[in-house]
Amino acid sequence: MVVVDEAHCISVWGHDFRPAFKRIINLVNLLPKGLPVIAVTATATKRVEKDIADQIGGGITVIRGSLMRENFRLYVIKVKSEDEKMIWLGGNIMNLPGSGIIYTGTRVNTEIYSRWFDYLNIKTSSYNAGLDSGSRIEIEKGLIENRWKCVISTNALGMGIDKPDIRFIIHTQIPQSPIHYYQEIGRAGRDGKPAIIILFYNPEDKSLPESFIEGGRPAIKKYEQVIQEIYNEPLGIKDLMRRTNMKQTPVRVIKADLIEQGIIREALYGRNKKLEYIPGAPKLDTAVFEELRMVKTAELNKMGEYIDIQGSRMKFLCDFLGDTYASEYSNCDNTGIKKITITDDPVMNKTLAEFRENYFPELKVESVRSNIVNGVASSYYGVSNVGAAIHRCKYEQGGDFPDFLLIQTLRAFRKRFGNDKFDLLVYVPPTTSGNLVSNLAVRLSSVLKIPVSHKLGKIRLTKEQKIFENASLKHDNVKDAFKYENPGEISGKRVLVFDDVFDSGSTMKEIGNYFTKLGAVLIAPLVIAKTVGGDLDDQ
Amino acid sequence: MINNAAYWIALAHLPGWRNERINNIILRFHHEQKTGIEDFFQLTEAEWENSYGLNEKEIRDLVNAKSEISNNSFLAESLQNQGYELIPITSPDYSGTLKENLKIKYSPAVLYLKGNRKILYEKSVAIVGSRNASDTSLKFTDNIAKLASKEYKVVVSGFARGVDKQALDSVLKYKGQSIIVLPQGITTFSSGFKTYYRQIVDGDILVLSVFHPKVPWRTDLAMARNSIIYGLANEIYVAESSESGGTWSGVKDGIRKHRIILVRKPEAGEKNANLQLIKLGAIPVDFDGNRIKEVYNTEQHAAKEPGTVEEPEENTIDTIKSILQYKPLTIKEILGKIGSGWTRNSLTNYLKKQDFIEIKKKGNKNLFNLKGTEEKREPTLF
Repeated sequence: MVVVDEAHCISVWGHDFRPAFKRIINLVNLLPKGLPVIAVTATATKRVEKDIADQIGGGITVIRGSLMRENFRLYVIKVKSEDEKMIWLGGNIMNLPGSGIIYTGTRVNTEIYSRWFDYLNIKTSSYNAGLDSGSRIEIEKGLIENRWKCVISTNALGMGIDKPDIRFIIHTQIPQSPIHYYQEIGRAGRDGKPAIIILFYNPEDKSLPESFIEGGRPAIKKYEQVIQEIYNEPLGIKDLMRRTNMKQTPVRVIKADLIEQGIIREALYGRNKKLEYIPGAPKLDTAVFEELRMVKTAELNKMGEYIDIQGSRMKFLCDFLGDTYASEYSNCDNTGIKKITITDDPVMNKTLAEFRENYFPELKVESVRSNIVNGVASSYYGVSNVGAAIHRCKYEQGGDFPDFLLIQTLRAFRKRFGNDKFDLLVYVPPTTSGNLVSNLAVRLSSVLKIPVSHKLGKIRLTKEQKIFENASLKHDNVKDAFKYENPGEISGKRVLVFDDVFDSGSTMKEIGNYFTKLGAVLIAPLVIAKTVGGDLDDQ
Repeated sequence: MINNAAYWIALAHLPGWRNERINNIILRFHHEQKTGIEDFFQLTEAEWENSYGLNEKEIRDLVNAKSEISNNSFLAESLQNQGYELIPITSPDYSGTLKENLKIKYSPAVLYLKGNRKILYEKSVAIVGSRNASDTSLKFTDNIAKLASKEYKVVVSGFARGVDKQALDSVLKYKGQSIIVLPQGITTFSSGFKTYYRQIVDGDILVLSVFHPKVPWRTDLAMARNSIIYGLANEIYVAESSESGGTWSGVKDGIRKHRIILVRKPEAGEKNANLQLIKLGAIPVDFDGNRIKEVYNTEQHAAKEPGTVEEPEENTIDTIKSILQYKPLTIKEILGKIGSGWTRNSLTNYLKKQDFIEIKKKGNKNLFNLKGTEEKREPTLF
């Protein structure tokens, strides 16, 4: 027998279409006669069901079960800010039974929420698609073993998690559609015991899924560029990222769409998968994208309706998914369960303010072969006034970095490396921005009493890292680009490396590798701001 | 990909089975029983034995092959996903030229393809020859490829060094089309697919293999591949052959199968076996591939060339036997196949003296037959 799990991934109309699942249809048609095939999913709308049945052709029997989950307790909590979500969670999460999952919309938020709980001494772990597979498996294992109160995650966590006793699932961010939502909350309470399901909603939150829908597809020009590159030569995903200077996610989106439209296919060249052009392929059909965009917008609006409905929330979700079973619905805050409302919590409010002042983003750069350690940034670039100040100085002749950046950076340093001793402060030689970084390094040096060195230079010209959209190109840009004037000086030293902005980490990692080679025992990165995003986005 | 590809993969690569044995089974279920390959595999072992006359070893092979069908489905899906095609012999898409030339005895049960399938149905020319061919042979190859491309004929070649590679390069130079016949499974040809990527995308090259898709290059496959090259071609040109090796045995095999084989007439002093092939029945051609019409006195010619060896009479007898092994022929037909060196009278007198020959009357014609053979009829399916 062949069993297909998460079968909704077969359909482009499913909320989580995966091109590789399309191959299952072909496989099913090629299997020997009489071999039974069963495909299961908890989340297929009528449209998805029909699409899959049409693709498989005759000989399929559809069986639908009831989607009603009586043990769920569904709540919607309306808030006016991100702070209100954090305050409520800070004050209430320990009162929730057992362990659970908090879904945030972005990676940065998984980090911020996780550090917020750290601050409150609540044990949590954060999870996103950018983690290496070892870490992901470890976190999934920890979740199953109830090692933490909760795991804070993007939507990357979930499929394949088999934990019967997830007692609560909380969304700090509105999902893209009722199907996404049902799929994600469906992981709670599989043991049949009560599970608390909370959705926070701040009207501003809709802009994130809206931007996913609007900007979910790269520009048509990018599609055409990819087609042209593949027409000339068979290419892997990494090759394409280099050729087109695009991040991994948009390249993957384009790949999936072009495979779906029969313009390219993936073939093995030796052991490498490469994309090749299909001779006589049709032209790119952009009308499909528009149709999908409209469907997705309608689905997001449906999710908006879920917030404001007066009737049963469970029934609303079941109806959306095409469930026709008649059930009694009394398991939400519209049908007999007391609503949760935000009340003022002055203590927690003060604690959050303190947290915000002491929160410094971590720079994850550690690796086995390098003596570099994870560093710290004084703030996120683009989230606070720090980014704006840097931009003014770098690109608008705004003069030296202002004092508050120095103070903020010193605070980040003390928070992260306050107990460490350093022998040397080295700064990253600039590409274009003159003496800004070296001047601030000198000032840091005099406050911290760590001697500053001006000896790290570049042996070849590099471009500004920000013009490269992906880590491979950034890595190439700085590879073997640095040279220390007096290499012997680094041996046996503990080195603090300072820069203004940290983006993919390629530069810091390269310097870490170089200094490790020169014999440094510890390399610690310190920057003013860390950009939001990086190379791999969830979504 | 056809839905029953997994079954065809099972049947086509039965270990040690000759094509003829497999084709006879296909004939029986497809042509006589009018059923499908799935039904054949559903039969009991007793039915295989009784209805298909299979012996114990053959039944064991089939049982093993049947147990692999589910796995073959995964292979077939992977092939499909990567743009490979599988064409069984019962398909109207199968090469008619190949069936006509190789008949039930030698036609492979399936073809694996990647590239422009339409090339398979064009008029075709094979250019074969040694891996270490002389400059003259390579120039001849280039010229034949040029003429073929000009006439929109497809050039079939075997992707070996020397003549094969020249044939392919020349076709691409003259904007023609080519079929590459692989001595290996089609999924093991990555470097070639990379090298000829653009030509495949543009529809100028078709890659074809008859072996299990995953089997790597082997000498015996290279030999077996030769008969496919000959089979796919309407015309066969030999640029250069040595006295042994793939080209030599391939051409002899072709002559035995009554193919018209056009061999470049060598210049004086050339050290190759082209003349021997001509004596065996191949037809000499000039630089432009035109048949050399004058009576070709092999003895005289050979006398001028110290490098060649005179054909022993034994070979002539073998050739005649091979020409006649399928059905009796008239003296004119034998002359056409055996080539030059004989007149109608001298050949008739020669044949009458041989004890392995009998003469049969058919209407007012004399047919020369090999003693002890009955006329066989080819099945019409093929």
